[in-house]
Parts: sequence; C-alpha cells; structure tokens
Amino acid sequence: MSAQPNLLEKVIAFVDERVGLKTLQAKMLHEPVPGGSRWAYVFGSCLLFIFIMQVVTGILLMFYYVPSADHAYASTQYIIHEVDYGWFILSYHFWGSSAMVVMVFAHMSQVFLWGAYKSPREMIWLVGLALFGIVMAFGFTGYLLPWDQRAYWATTVGVEIMDKAPIVGDFLARFLKGGPTPGQMTLSRFFVIHVMILPAALMGLAGLHLFLFRKAGPAGPFRGTPDELKAKTDYFFPRQVWKDMVAMGAVFATICSLAFIEPVVLLEEATPDPGEYHPEPEWYFLFLFQLLRLKIFSGEFGQFLGGVAIPGAFMVLLAALPFIDRSPERNIFKRPVALVGWILIMTSILIFTVSAIINREFLD
Amino acid sequence: MQPKLKSKVRCTDREVGEVTRVIVDPLSLKISHIVVGGNGVGGAERQVPMSEVQSVTDDLVQLRTASGALAQFPPLKRDEYVTTHEVEIAHLEERLHVQPGEVLVPLPALERNVPRRTFFTNLTHAIGALVALPFAFPVLKYLMKPMYAPFDNRWLKVGNVNRIKAEDVGVQFKYKKIVKEAFMPEAEVDKNVWILKASPAVLEEVYKGKDMEFRDQAGRLVWTNKKDIPYVVFSGKCPHLGCGYKWRKVPKLGKEIFLCPCHLSIYEPSGKVLDGPAPRPLDPLPIRVDAAGNIQIIDIEFKAGTKAQTRIV
Amino acid sequence: MTAQPSQLSPVKLGFAVAWPAFWTGVPIKIVLGLLLLAMGQHPWEFPGLAFLLLLSIPVDIWAVGLTGRTVFLERLGLQPQASLGLTLWWQGAALYATYGSLACFLGRQTIASSQAVAAKIMDMELLKAVPVAERISIELTLWGSVSAVVLLALMLGGLFLFGKLVQRQADAASPASAPYEARVHQWDLMRVPADQPLMLTVFTATGVALVLLLWAFMPVTTPHPHESYKQDEKKAAPALKPTEALQKAERVLTQAEASVQALEAKAKKSKGKAAAPDKKAAAKPKKA
Repeated sequence: MSAQPNLLEKVIAFVDERVGLKTLQAKMLHEPVPGGSRWAYVFGSCLLFIFIMQVVTGILLMFYYVPSADHAYASTQYIIHEVDYGWFILSYHFWGSSAMVVMVFAHMSQVFLWGAYKSPREMIWLVGLALFGIVMAFGFTGYLLPWDQRAYWATTVGVEIMDKAPIVGDFLARFLKGGPTPGQMTLSRFFVIHVMILPAALMGLAGLHLFLFRKAGPAGPFRGTPDELKAKTDYFFPRQVWKDMVAMGAVFATICSLAFIEPVVLLEEATPDPGEYHPEPEWYFLFLFQLLRLKIFSGEFGQFLGGVAIPGAFMVLLAALPFIDRSPERNIFKRPVALVGWILIMTSILIFTVSAIINREFLD
Repeated sequence: MQPKLKSKVRCTDREVGEVTRVIVDPLSLKISHIVVGGNGVGGAERQVPMSEVQSVTDDLVQLRTASGALAQFPPLKRDEYVTTHEVEIAHLEERLHVQPGEVLVPLPALERNVPRRTFFTNLTHAIGALVALPFAFPVLKYLMKPMYAPFDNRWLKVGNVNRIKAEDVGVQFKYKKIVKEAFMPEAEVDKNVWILKASPAVLEEVYKGKDMEFRDQAGRLVWTNKKDIPYVVFSGKCPHLGCGYKWRKVPKLGKEIFLCPCHLSIYEPSGKVLDGPAPRPLDPLPIRVDAAGNIQIIDIEFKAGTKAQTRIV
Repeated sequence: MTAQPSQLSPVKLGFAVAWPAFWTGVPIKIVLGLLLLAMGQHPWEFPGLAFLLLLSIPVDIWAVGLTGRTVFLERLGLQPQASLGLTLWWQGAALYATYGSLACFLGRQTIASSQAVAAKIMDMELLKAVPVAERISIELTLWGSVSAVVLLALMLGGLFLFGKLVQRQADAASPASAPYEARVHQWDLMRVPADQPLMLTVFTATGVALVLLLWAFMPVTTPHPHESYKQDEKKAAPALKPTEALQKAERVLTQAEASVQALEAKAKKSKGKAAAPDKKAAAKPKKA
C-alpha cells in the first residue's frame, strides 16, 4: 500500500469495512480450478456475455421499435435504413441470437462429454436444461417481431405444430396467438414474453445456475493424476477469466463480422396470403422442420409425434440423464454409449438441417 | 484426524507449544499439516505433516517425534498460503471440523508468480475494455438520430389578407400542417399564427430598421422579411413556455394587446413585452403575400424560455 | 502426460501442436477480417484475402512457436530450440502447399463423385417410390458419410506428416532436466513479456487504433438496403436564395416594364387609348 491512500482507495476501504467487499471479491474470483483453467470451460461465460450483449442491443432497438401490427414493419425498416448504425445494432442482435444457440449446444456438449452432469451436479444440469428451453423460446418469440413475411409465417407454422399436442395443444396455441389466428394480439404477447418474461426468467435461472455451480465446484478434467492436477491448479482470476475474455472477444468479433457480411434484410410486410413465399423457421429449428416432412410423421398424430412428442421425450431423457447414468466414470472415452449417442444426435441434427436447406430447391 | 486449533502439542518427551494453524490440501480436502508455534518452540512456527501426528484428543495433539527433532520440520512460509476466507473451496466446511481460526490453503504454485498474475490481470482488463469500446460511438449516434432533425422550410398557406380589416389588430389564422415523424404515417396537426397589418410606427418597432433574416442549420439564408412589407406574422407560441396566447382588449390599459393566459405575459401589437415573465418579444415568422392576397408562412418554432432566439423546428 | 517423443504418435503430436496454434491465431485473424469487412472488402476474395494472408504470416509463426514450445516443455519434457516457431512454420507452409493442394483436389473429387454416385443410386427403380424428404436425407447421408470419411483420412494424413516434422525437431532437441512443475512454470512464464507496461500499452494502443479505424470505415446506413424502401430525401427544403430571386424578379419586372412601355408606345401610335388598359391588365400579373 502506498504511503497516503488516494481518494479511490479511501472510498474502496470505506465500502469494504461495511460490506466485506474484498472478501467477497476474493471469494468470487479466487476459485481454484483443479487441473488448471481450460479453453473448454469458456462456453458458459461466453453465453453470459452474449446474453448481456443481446440485452444491450435489444434495449437499444426498443428505442425505435413499435410492437403494433401497423408500425412494427415500418419501425424496423426505419431502424435499418434511417437510424445511424441501426442496421448494425439490429444485425448484431440477429446474429447474436444465432451465436447464442450455437454456444448453448457447445456448452451442453462440453458438460455432457465431460460427464459434469453426474452427482453431485444434477441440479445444475436440470437448471441448465431449463435455460436451454428459455434460449430457444427467445429465438422463437423474437423472430416474429419484425412482422415481415418470414417472421409471420415461421411463427404461424411453429404455433400450429404446438396445436397438435393432445388435450392442451389447442389451448396453448390460442394462448400464444391471442386468438384463433395470428395478429396484433400475437405480436403483443410475443413482445411481452420476449422482452419481459423471458429475460427475467433467464436472469433468475442463470443466477441459480451459477450459484449451484460455485457450490458444487468445477468438475475439472476427467484425466490426470492428482499431482498433475494439483501442479496445474490455478485460480479463476486471472487465468480462466483471461481465457474467457479472449473467447468473448473472438465471439464479439465474429458476430460483428457476420453483421457486416449479412446484415438483416426484411422481406415484404406480413400478409395473411403467403404468396410466393415458402414458410421456414430460423435455422436452429430447421432440423425439426425437415423431420416433420418425413412420411412417417404425416397426419395429425404424426405431426404431434414428430413435432412435440419426440422432442419432448428427448428433453425428458436429458433431464433424467443424471439419475439414469449413475456411474462415476467421467472419461468420455470410457463411456461408449454416451459418446456414440452424442455423435449420433449431432450428426442427425446436422443431416436434417442440411436436408432442409437442400429441400428449398425442390420447392421452387 | 482433525486437530483443534489452540490445542496443545506434545512431543514424545514434553509439551512444545500449541496448534496455531492448520493447512488443508485443496483437492482432497484433508488436513495435510499442522503448524506448531508457541513459546516451547522458540522462534519460527514449524510446519509438521500429519504423518507425524500419533493421536489427537480433545485438547492435545501427540506427535511421534522428540522435541529436539522438531527443528527438522520446515518453518512456515506464510506467503505461500492463503486463508480460507480468501479462497473459494467447495464443500470445505463440511469436511473440516476444525474450530475456526486460521485454516490455511496453499497458494497454487502457478499463482505464486506475481508478474504473471499482474500481466494476465492487466491484459484481461485491456481486452474487456476493447470489447466494449467499438459499441460506444455507434450507439451514441444511434440514440441521437432524431434529436437534431433538419428544419422544415416549407411554405404553408394560412389564409387571405382580406380577413384583416384594420391596422394594428391581431387576427388569428388557423391552419393545418402535415407532419411525418420517422416511420409514422403522415398526420395532420392544427396550428395557428397571429397576423396583423402593421402601421409604420408598429412596423418600425418590429423590424427596428433592419430586414429580418431566417436561416437554416447550416447558416444558409432561407428567407428575408423585408421591413417595408406591412404584414407581420407572429408564431402562435408564447416565447415564455410555448402556450397559445390571445388578442384581448384590456380596460385598464385602454387598448388591445396580446395576452398569454398561462403566466399572463402581455405583449404590444408589435410583439414587445409589456408585462409578465416572457424573456423576449413575440417571434416573427417568414411571410410572403402574393398578388391575390394569399398569405404563406414558414412554420418555425423557437426554443421557449430563453432570451436568445434559437430555432428548433 | 509426460510422454516421451516415441510414445506420442505422429498424428497426436501433429494435432497437439497444430490445433492450439490454429486457435491461437484465430482471434487475431478474426479482428483483421472484421476490419476488412468494415472497409467493404470481403476477406475471402482478393484483394482482401491477400492482405489477410500476408498479415497471417507473422501471426502464424508466433502461434506455432508458442504452442510448439509449450508442447515440448510440458508434454515431451524437452528444451525447445530458439527458432522452433519459424522452422515449423515454413516447413508446415511447404507441406500445406504440396500435400494441402493435393488433398484439396482429392477432397473435391471425392465429394463430386460421391454426389454423382449417390444421385445414381437414388435414381434406381427400387427407390423411385421413396418420397422427396426421405430421398434428400438418404442421398445426403450416402455422399456425406463417404466424403466425411475421406476428408477425415486426408486431414489425419496431413497431421501425420506435420507430426513427423515436429518429431524431427523433437529428436534434435535436448531433454529438459527440471521437474514437471518447473517446466510448467517455464512455459507459463513464456507468455509473460519481459517489459509488461510497454507491451500492455502497445497492445491497448493498437486496439484503440483499430477501433477508431473501424468507426471511420463503418457504413452509417445499411450496406444492403431493401429494394422497395424509398429513402426520403433528407435534405432540408431547398433553401431559397432570396437575393437571387429578387434580382431575377427585378430583371423580369424591368423587362416587363420595358416591353409594356414599348407596346404602349406602339398602341398609342397605332390604335389609341382603347388598347392601353388591356395591356396594363396583362402587365399586372407579371409584377406580382
């Protein structure tokens, strides 16, 4: 400490005496990471970063966006064409949402492959699955807001799929649409969900996720002798924070680049007549969309099976995973079922997504 | 075995001191060493591994070695350790049943290098700032977009001079203005101005011998009101706080004046302030009258409440 | 994992150096690419690509050097040579130019031929009845899996060869005598510059300079405007030039007056007073 503390140091000391700032900071930052900080651990922090950027750009967009059916399209076009750098803010928000989905898949895969969902981390995994659902809901609700043909019809198709669920399907669909058909009520509901309900839920659950994670401690690598792990232990700050920062910087630069390469361009304003336009959901739902085109899922029950039952069952399987898989083995190369299962799922999603893109040519 | 802090330490032959601190291994969560200090040792605190501990009772820790051999144990290097308050070790309190005191955890070998820590710290801060920085300027311009909208210098028809029957009498002309804000569809708003046909004396007061110039944001001349044209139009907004004012006959003064009902500013027909909180006279607007007597004005608005006349619309 | 050079297979060795080296360079290249994009250039087309490739050279040399030295110290227990980065880089570049182009060619051929074969298979009579969506997925799986296997093999081959290059360097290097912790300490300290404040200042200054460049080049309005969006002319209503207008009006008036007088004179001469009021009435609108 210098001889005479300057003003800033005095203020910090004042607060620290009353709040325990230094202890709190130390506890938050000096978390030992067994086996050392790893690049594989950055995905969670990247998700937090992307979420914060989405909130910032989303708030900025709300300065000009009007969530009413007669002004939504015009105000979005205004942002793109008239407001200084509006095109950049909107494109960043758009590509940020895609980045978030990619990051969610990466984070979930990392946790799965490292076996970090096993005891005592079951609750973190469950909360994480809820967060995954929220991220997908964000993407689905946000997509409608520009109110162009693509937005309107993607939402229509998506909600119709939900309609096929037995018993609750019709109620749920009408609840989301705010009526029998999509319109102003739908836009208002989706806006509230996207801008108020989901952010609050995400912040709450993310806080819980982080708290549970700190309580249980990082799972660490699945290989290495205790000596090596001990030799390579470092603290969250600065080593892991540094890695997180670099990853966040790279993610930020990538999203900016995408915003420059492919800025958001709207189609025509939404009309009840689809005309020449072929409805399509956003890219991370394409695999489901393509799945529903298969003959085995034709018909009302088939659509329910493919659109709701199978994805739902898969989510239930994921939720039950820590309770089904009780073996303490975390090395992925010694868990053949897990490894093969992961490869199969990822490959299938990839194949169906690409199939959906190829399918576009057949429609023209 | 969980030795209590402050419990006495005894070698094979005699008591040597007490347990001053306990060192825990952060990975296995087991106590790895006790630190023996106190007057019996005389000098540095010694770090004794748990393998040397024979037994632990409620207030006594029995060591295997003799007191003379105590010096073989290394002295405590306090700065290679941090307390459990300074570090977050999951589940530590559940495994450790030691009375709170100083429970130490070794600082990881990689963390003992100060230059390394400060380098990564500073580089982390630098990258964090550089990630946030690119947004600063575009966001500022983004939010400022509608704040300095360009001026609208359209000529608007308000009526005909045949409505003005006498000199130096204020006549209100109501007109509709079409406004288009941002992406909103065109809307019509009602506005009004006060026009009077000024006598030479009043005209002199308004113009004070100079032609009145109106400029746009860049400073370019938009229009000049010639001082010899008798028709004068005043903005319908009171320069005090923007209320609409009226033309009234005041018995006390025995004449007709402009009166603002909000804060009772009173103006002469020439716009000069007679009474009230108005900071400046009524604002004249650009006016032109064609041969048929149709009056056109440019709807300019000035900032209310200031002595200086600053155009805002 | 303190493996001896002989214990790490060439593929594993090549991967251990190439994978982190790639990702070390990526953040810097992304920033360069972003700058190019802001300037309106595409980093995957010339001339942007040339610029990117040129700047990648020092970045790659540094990255390969850093990861090479780390692997040598931490995994192999060897003392790395001073010029390890440069050596591995130019050898790797030569490998990329030769083997890389061959692999590219083979890869493209494989994809094209497997696509053709898959299409032929789908055209078989047996499979005519399969509906469209299923056809697409099956065809994709057929040629996709074949291509993926071939591409993977080509990549492993490349890593194998690169691993051999690394092995050659490893064989020439002397073993590091220090214990594990000390070696980890050494490669860790490699990342800390000798003069910290200087490096940090330079880094931050470069970053700020790049951000300022970004702001200068970034387009204010969208580079891809919607075709049917009409941009309102945001200029203020054209400023009248009153002096010019007045001068013009004066000129018109004097001309009008002159012509009126001339006509009046004519009229007086030829037709008398009857014509004059008509001419005066005609002259009045011009004066307004």
